[in-house]
Amino acid sequence: MAELSLTGTTKVFKDGGDEIVAVDNIDLDIEDGEFVVLVGPSGCGKSTTLRMIAGLDKPTSGTISIGGEAIQDRSPQERDIAMVFQSYALYPHMTVRGNMAFGLEESTDMTDAEIDETVTDAAETLGIANLLDRKPGALSGGQQQRVALGRAIVRNPEVFLLDEPLSNLDAKLRAQMRTELQQLQDDLGVTTIYVTHDQTEAMTMGDRIAILDGGRLQQLGTPMECYHEPANVFVAGFLGEPAMNFFDATVDGATLVSEEFTYALPDEIAAKTTDGAEVVLGIRPESIDITDDPDSSEGIPATIDVVEPHGDENAVHLRLGDQSEPTLTAMIDGMRYLASGQSVRVHFPTDSVHLFDAESGEAIHNRQLTNVDRVQEIGTAQSAD
Amino acid sequence: MSNPQDTVAGSQAVGGTETDDWRTRLVEFSKSDFVRSFPFWFVPFSIMGLGVYGGIGYNTLISLTDYEGFNEGPDYTNLDLGMYVQAVNDPWVWTTSKNTFVLLIVFTTITMLLGLFLAIMLDRGIRYREKIQTIYLLPMALSFVVTAQFWLWMYNVNNGLVNTVVGLFGLGPYNWIGDPQLVLGSVIFALIWQFSGYAMVVFLAGLQSIPDDQFEAAKVDGASVFKTYWRVIIPQLKSSSVSAAVVLMIFALKAFTFLFSMFGQYRVPKGTDILATLMVREAFKLQNWAYAAAIATILLLMALAVIAPYLHYQHKQGSL
Repeated sequence: MAELSLTGTTKVFKDGGDEIVAVDNIDLDIEDGEFVVLVGPSGCGKSTTLRMIAGLDKPTSGTISIGGEAIQDRSPQERDIAMVFQSYALYPHMTVRGNMAFGLEESTDMTDAEIDETVTDAAETLGIANLLDRKPGALSGGQQQRVALGRAIVRNPEVFLLDEPLSNLDAKLRAQMRTELQQLQDDLGVTTIYVTHDQTEAMTMGDRIAILDGGRLQQLGTPMECYHEPANVFVAGFLGEPAMNFFDATVDGATLVSEEFTYALPDEIAAKTTDGAEVVLGIRPESIDITDDPDSSEGIPATIDVVEPHGDENAVHLRLGDQSEPTLTAMIDGMRYLASGQSVRVHFPTDSVHLFDAESGEAIHNRQLTNVDRVQEIGTAQSAD
Repeated sequence: MSNPQDTVAGSQAVGGTETDDWRTRLVEFSKSDFVRSFPFWFVPFSIMGLGVYGGIGYNTLISLTDYEGFNEGPDYTNLDLGMYVQAVNDPWVWTTSKNTFVLLIVFTTITMLLGLFLAIMLDRGIRYREKIQTIYLLPMALSFVVTAQFWLWMYNVNNGLVNTVVGLFGLGPYNWIGDPQLVLGSVIFALIWQFSGYAMVVFLAGLQSIPDDQFEAAKVDGASVFKTYWRVIIPQLKSSSVSAAVVLMIFALKAFTFLFSMFGQYRVPKGTDILATLMVREAFKLQNWAYAAAIATILLLMALAVIAPYLHYQHKQGSL
């Protein structure tokens, strides 16, 4: 168990004459026993970051340290880490037992009996004790996944690295393994870095999530912080399904003027902006109020384009004003009935709008976190029990 | 009275169906894939079957007669295993068998190890891999007649390159071809030179089909480079090894071409006389047709014994 920190870690790949910056000056401090998820779209540098921590890629500059010791020049076997690969990378010619024992045989001086005991224990923890004498080819995807986890667990490493471990599983098994993995990490208390491109995994699993884009760290924070207080437009748009709605607008006094509508800013938000500034207004689909009262004159007139039922809630795609394409997505209660083609009015509650600088993308104003703070406190109290 | 009529009509109908049934089956059969593809596979199959399996059968038949010389044809009335008894009791058959086995084992083993070593070196990312691959594979493209003659010059006692090189270390000169103790080794070395490129290409293909994460997983698991190859990578080259070994071993059994090209006659030096050369000598120099046929059959059985494990392996993999 140890804390892990990356300081100014950079990786540049040379491709012929071109230099490709895969990871750009990342600073990351991960506490002992913490579960941190690295998330971002393909090519954002998350896997490269993980591979640098594992020692499979060497950082071009910067340091990586585990438990206060700089390890960036050490080979993988000297780093006390274990890694689960996306493809599992099980050795096809060895049995499950052989796969799990291999790391112990190669990196420790444990006796055969000790190794066998450790492997059997880990296999029992993962519920694969009955598969120990099979070969990987004879296992299902979920079972192979467990073996790959088992191979990492037996090593009892300081840091556990997981590279998209659930991406090859079907949706149902993935949801199940998500919970199991969290529980396992909680029981073992090992510092864990988990790489994924799936924002649901990031939101549900991480103690904290680190969002990367273009090789740069965009935000590091708890899932709730990142969701409700995104540092920039990228984070705001990346987290959440369906994604946050964005509108380009210009500040005119205390009013936002966009192509489709004008929006009156409350004083406290207006105070953060300057007159004439180009901004991006963001609003999450679930925060939008829709009124289907024909007499109402509140809010922005809109027409419903498509309603996607999700069961518990419905996603509504709307056209604002006389637009031909839907530009706004809202989530409404699953029991509420709205028909395609219906004219409605939408309203953005002032306590849930986000405002970003149009040029830099940095957040100018985020929604109020008061209620969320409370939720987090409860969450922290529960995990401390 | 409608019932009897119905019955009659019914029985007629049944009779009609039986005839129809037979006809439909014939029509269906004539339309089946088997019949329709017949002209396409039967011709090549029969030519190949006559040439290979007919040849094997006729050879085996002759080996059971006492046929020799040019005067009269083989006598098929009196078939026995006399020639095989003679072969077993012939010390020359045993000497050549021993040479065949030494050639088979030493040549195959060293060629495979060398090929594997070269393949691993290339796979570990030497640049210009393609060009180096061609350099090693080139000997394989040369005719045996060329390489045999070429190595004959290399091994020349007085002015061969091999003696010049070992002479630099104060050794020799050795009579590589003339010395019965050395000649088999010299021939094996020349064959290894020609075939290690082939073994390398087979292993390289096998290595490149192993995903990088196998190497990385082993690295993270703490295995050294040697252990990674020994315990993780080489065991996964099983099918490459089997196919390379089968080709090399079959070649070792029929190394006659190379030896004949090297020495230009049926009688090769005693140290390098193998079953294949003995067989050709018995047949075409001494006209002992039946005896040569018996030796050919023994050679065929050895070749079958060599590929039997391969066939068994393929069968176990479900690809046969």
